[in-house]
Amino acid sequence: MSKPVIEVKNLEKVYEGAVPVHAVNGISLTITQGEFTALKGPSGCGKTTLLNMLGGLDQPTAGSIAIGGVDITTLSENALIDFRLRNIGFVFQAYNLIPVLSAQENVSFIMLLQDRPKEEREVRAQQLLEAVGLKGKEDKRPGQLSGGQQQRVAVARALASKPQFVLADEPTANLDSQSTANLLDIMERLNKEEGMTFVFATHDDRVIKKARRIISIEDGKVLSDD
Amino acid sequence: MFKLAWRNIWRNKGRSIITIAAVMFCVIFAVVLRSFQVGVWEHMVGDIVANNFGYLQVHQKGFWGDQSLDLSMDETTLDWDAMENVPGVRSLVPRLESFSLVSTGESNRGSLVLGIHPEEELSGLRLTDQLIDGRLFAPASNEVVVSEGLAEYLHVELGDSLMFLGQGYRGASAYGQFMVSGIAKISNPELNKQLVVLPLETAQWMYNAMGLLTTVVVDLEPNADFAEVKASLEPLLGSDFELLDWEQLFPELVQTIEADMAGGQIFVTILYFIISFVLLGTVIMMVSEREREFGILVSIGMRKTTLAAVTVLENLMLLVGGAVVGMAVVKPVQFYFKYNPIDLSGQMKEAIEQFDFEPKLYTTTSFIINLNHGAIVFVIGVLVSSYAVWKIMKLNPVKSMRA
Repeated sequence: MSKPVIEVKNLEKVYEGAVPVHAVNGISLTITQGEFTALKGPSGCGKTTLLNMLGGLDQPTAGSIAIGGVDITTLSENALIDFRLRNIGFVFQAYNLIPVLSAQENVSFIMLLQDRPKEEREVRAQQLLEAVGLKGKEDKRPGQLSGGQQQRVAVARALASKPQFVLADEPTANLDSQSTANLLDIMERLNKEEGMTFVFATHDDRVIKKARRIISIEDGKVLSDD
Repeated sequence: MFKLAWRNIWRNKGRSIITIAAVMFCVIFAVVLRSFQVGVWEHMVGDIVANNFGYLQVHQKGFWGDQSLDLSMDETTLDWDAMENVPGVRSLVPRLESFSLVSTGESNRGSLVLGIHPEEELSGLRLTDQLIDGRLFAPASNEVVVSEGLAEYLHVELGDSLMFLGQGYRGASAYGQFMVSGIAKISNPELNKQLVVLPLETAQWMYNAMGLLTTVVVDLEPNADFAEVKASLEPLLGSDFELLDWEQLFPELVQTIEADMAGGQIFVTILYFIISFVLLGTVIMMVSEREREFGILVSIGMRKTTLAAVTVLENLMLLVGGAVVGMAVVKPVQFYFKYNPIDLSGQMKEAIEQFDFEPKLYTTTSFIINLNHGAIVFVIGVLVSSYAVWKIMKLNPVKSMRA
């Protein structure tokens, strides 16, 4: 049996206001190593909020999130940033690459933050870009790449830190069909060949079809888990 | 981090150029302003002090306050050799100075009468360069050199006779008739209106003060520190003498300089306020433009302190760039106006001359001013950058990524 990577217990997120909003309402789930999981649901159902909390970007109102056995809700701000750096890869809807850095530098940047040697950074960045089909594009800046290519750089960046898992928030939302297919093929291959755990927040059927586990969320609660 | 900061500078060339230009022009304006202010005073002090009155003067105790010939000193009571051997002393210049009514018969004016040895004098009173008509008086002769302004007032020309009437040493009458051998333009406007220069011996004779001096000017070596020389000279003078430096000789001048400098500081401070808001505006623009990116960087694992350091580094590079360019660009301007001062004219000229100042605007070439103002702008930039640091330290990555 695969070991758990993410263990969520009774997670809640309430946005205070005139009318408090329960964006996440008592979710408990476990994600094990090597999963290719999609969190699906309509807009506003709470999947992005859940994903942000899994990634330590947002603090829950109640409940706990253990990643590799570490309860990240108890970490200080700097400890949490360091934890994200070493354990979690992110792929965002809008690619979110650093515009002034080349593709290779964007991928290397995470390793630079990890204080890895220059040679290792360069070799691994080239390997990852090759793995996502961007060999020859190493020196291009984000503005010189298509949306699909940028998202592939983002995937390479997410993997550069050798994380325990990758969180992808609507990774295909801005991509055309061909780019979506290419991206999903790459992530599926990385999942199968290298055992990398992927968790998607999506309402894109093309992503959902590829997922081996689909968690449906509605009104901040898990509706189904297949 | 340096690479990231460097590239960030050029991602928005317009903003970077505005920032560099704002800093550069601020440094230029501040330096030009202060250079003229300091330069005018530097020139004035140089003219009044270095060229005419000296940085240090020795008198009989109490003379400078009373300006009375009765407080003259016997030249034999001074240890000339010991004083001349003090490091920093170039020479000792003897003078006898007093006042007298000078008359042509048709007009007259109270004048400052100065008995000197021209060849031993400070450059402003060596007279050979200052003569605009005629020649220097012969040693121990009954000839005088009259300042241009006084000559105009009295309508005297070369060869005319002047009558002197005043009070000499210990109440004796002081009078004489001397021929004008030359007319000199004295750079100090006040002196130029009232000075009559004659041989030291002749002045001593007229004032019944043979062997007496009112003043010994200490001429200093270039770059000598007058305070150090003063400290070395003081033990060589007995309690009957006073050794005054230029700040003690001309306290009004020091106060005027201080008041003018303070006024200039207010103007420069206003300038700095303006530039502070210009810089703050560019920093606010930068933070606003890049809020989303800041959120991403923190999300993927960049500590806020590191991100803040990169942002500050960017700003510092822009500030240093602007300040260095400003300091360099303004340098030729400083040199040009030091040697080609602006001649004031009209009412401005008259107003300045009323205060006995030369109506010319000089600059100083002292690089300290450039460094000071470059450093001030740099510090302003650092303070303004703290806005970016504050925004980063309180950044919420999720909210920022939605920006």
